[in-house]
Amino acid sequence: MRNALALVVVIVLAVLMMAGVSQLPPPGSPDGAVHRHVAAHYIDGGKEAAGAPNLVTAVLLNYRALDTYGEVVVIFAALIAVLAVGLAGHSRGPQRQPEELPVSPVVDLVVRLMAPFIALFALFMILEGHVLPGGGFQGGVVLGALMILLGLVLGPRRLRRMLPTPALFWTRAVALLAFALAAGAGLALAGWLFALPEQPWLRELIIVGLELAIGIGAALALVGFYLSLEADRHR
Amino acid sequence: MSPNDVFDLLILSLLILSALAIARMKDLAAAVILFSVYSFALCLLWVHRGAPDVAMTEAAVGAGITAVLFFYTLARTGRKEK
Amino acid sequence: MVILFAIGLYVVLTKQNLVKKIIGLNIMETAVFGLIVTSGMVTGGSPPLLGQGLEPPYASPIAHALVLTGIVVALSVTALALVLIIRVKAECGSIELDELLEPDE
Repeated sequence: MRNALALVVVIVLAVLMMAGVSQLPPPGSPDGAVHRHVAAHYIDGGKEAAGAPNLVTAVLLNYRALDTYGEVVVIFAALIAVLAVGLAGHSRGPQRQPEELPVSPVVDLVVRLMAPFIALFALFMILEGHVLPGGGFQGGVVLGALMILLGLVLGPRRLRRMLPTPALFWTRAVALLAFALAAGAGLALAGWLFALPEQPWLRELIIVGLELAIGIGAALALVGFYLSLEADRHR
Repeated sequence: MSPNDVFDLLILSLLILSALAIARMKDLAAAVILFSVYSFALCLLWVHRGAPDVAMTEAAVGAGITAVLFFYTLARTGRKEK
Repeated sequence: MVILFAIGLYVVLTKQNLVKKIIGLNIMETAVFGLIVTSGMVTGGSPPLLGQGLEPPYASPIAHALVLTGIVVALSVTALALVLIIRVKAECGSIELDELLEPDE
């Protein structure tokens, strides 16, 4: 009964949405309304204003830097909430010894061989993100996934030992702090938030620095999610 | 129809089929793997639409991180949906 | 794209299992991102990257930036929701919505 009602509601909603979407200009034409006003302005002025030939990075880190700041705040807040739920400390049943699942030697060897290359590629994506497609967040996610993979292969205890906790606290916050610093410095020196200095090389340096901060912050947030989920696995 | 349109149509039908299969699947581990398939098909669609940044992010996040998080949750909760 | 959103919405509304609901939520979110990227594309155009030998017309960089932020937010929501589901299972013993909504005796 409830399923049928939900199906009817969803179909009605889908019909309404399709009627709405079909009113939009058909995608794909180069001079539709989407491409004209703001996007054309960004495409024309992007390279000089932001120092980054990758226009998406220019939009994310210069024109719409406040939105990227909000995104960093969101992922950091999610990390805080995950840590605050506190999975590892609560258990209702008897304490079991954590069983170590044996990892097959093929997986072990392949991950150990490929880990440096993956780390290099992730770092390359972060640092060259303003020229080639990539950017801070892509490299950060790949780096986080690499650390999770290493945790799966080497055992989570070694992963925890590699990331000492007090330093972890500050490095996790580095993305947030770097963004706040850039915004504040821009405000103090030039009069509006996220203002970039005049020389092109300094501009590029600041953008690369911001990308590095986002990458490291995102990678550590992902590792935080993984560690708190994994600690609860043995309860 | 040009090859562009054929590719578009193939990817979109793969997306819709995998979404329907996720809705019907009672085994949640299979549903998560189907979600990875859906994410990879979406990543191909982004590349076809000229969005390489979005494609890389979607591949790393959807097919990688989300699937890992789901598998850890499934290890803790049940694997079958009642 | 609208069909994908409708399928995701159906999964969220009717399935009892909480993890299935989160998968449905992800399908809805990615369908919305699909709509945004499609609205910014140019058929036969090039990605918004200057200087690699790509000539105009470029796809719109604003749409791509919106979707990148959206994917990050979707990931954060999914991670937090999954952690909360694990706590619900630990405290109440079940993650099917029927069993959770029964009045306590």
